[in-house]
Amino acid sequence: MSQAFDLVMLALLIAMALAVARSKDLLAAAIIFSGYSLVMCLLWQHRGAPDVAMTEAAIGAGVTTILVLLAIGRTRRREK
Amino acid sequence: MTGMLLHALTIALAVTGALFFLAGTLGLLRLPDFYSRVHAATKCDTVGAGAILLALAIHVAPHPEALKILVLLLLVLLSSPTSGHALARAAHHTGLEPWRRPGERAR
Amino acid sequence: MKKPLVAVTLAAAAVPMLIGVAALPRPGDPTAPAHTHVAAHYIEAGARETGADNRVTAVLLNYRAFDTFGEVLVIFAALAAVIAVRSPATPGGRADDMPGPGPGLPISPVVAFIIRLTAPFIALFGAFVIFRGHVSPGGGFQGGVILGALLVLLSLVLGRGAERPLLAVPLARWLQAAAPLAFTGVGLLGLALTGALLGYPAEPERHALRELMMITLDVGIGIGGAMIILGLFLEMRGD
Repeated sequence: MSQAFDLVMLALLIAMALAVARSKDLLAAAIIFSGYSLVMCLLWQHRGAPDVAMTEAAIGAGVTTILVLLAIGRTRRREK
Repeated sequence: MTGMLLHALTIALAVTGALFFLAGTLGLLRLPDFYSRVHAATKCDTVGAGAILLALAIHVAPHPEALKILVLLLLVLLSSPTSGHALARAAHHTGLEPWRRPGERAR
Repeated sequence: MKKPLVAVTLAAAAVPMLIGVAALPRPGDPTAPAHTHVAAHYIEAGARETGADNRVTAVLLNYRAFDTFGEVLVIFAALAAVIAVRSPATPGGRADDMPGPGPGLPISPVVAFIIRLTAPFIALFGAFVIFRGHVSPGGGFQGGVILGALLVLLSLVLGRGAERPLLAVPLARWLQAAAPLAFTGVGLLGLALTGALLGYPAEPERHALRELMMITLDVGIGIGGAMIILGLFLEMRGD
């Protein structure tokens, strides 16, 4: 059961990483990357690393997303 | 006897929560425009997460951990509708028109 | 021409990596090298030697304090770089193809009310995570990010430029440097007490002082981290 959870999460991570890399819409990529961080956070917690999970949730899903969105807001939304 | 009843209540709440999540996800995938999708996602997720958290709180009941889960429930009840409102408001002020049935006139 | 080259390069990089991953010991294997050398000592003696019940903090602030010092400096340097690159003359324009209402739209009263309602609880939680960091999951970094997110939310409620009168720029600059300053101070104190930079007095005789030094570091990291996140947000929003 525990192994199955890990496998599903890892599959999600790979799918999201590919989606981020392939997306030409940087706004969509930023949002998917935020989701990637949330899944990563669940994995850390599940593997028994609550410290890392907290950092991942706060920095990865929260602050990084805001900063990336601000950076996109000052440049261009679409990759050329 | 009460134990059985509580178990049944836990299971019923958890299943209800999962059903609401399913409905919300279906809405997110199938509804026609931004407003209806935000409505489906935030409302169903609020009720779904609420029901599942309530089920968990009942499951661990006399343990003080149940209080923590209830506080978490309160946080979900506050934050999820707020974010839904903020999204819809931003879209409205950007000038996004709501979807209408083909042929229906804008009022 | 290009595609086969990409495939060959990827394969050349992937095959050794996959072989390496396959050769790793199973997760949780007690005979793995990671669990038999230094980590075993940290787990066995960490709480006794450092006085920090949370082993992660024991490693971050004691055994590997120099590394943490470096990390803190990197974060501070990131903010310095953003400030240096974005001169005040740069207009705070926005991308034409970015969706969303213009900057003139005031914040929704609903959102403002919810932020005001939850702000004290978020602040309490952030402080709790910082101060309890040496005994439970959490610490300066985590609590600092929670406080930083709170400051970002509050600056949204207040609107553009409203935080200026609340915090004079020179004071804000000092607070943004709180983490490196705390490390320098504690490091020099350690130098004076034990003769080694970032050295701690012996456990368990000087437990209170030792704990105070760790809490100073955690609070410094927390306040510095929160201010740096707010600083990055304000600089990049362009006001």
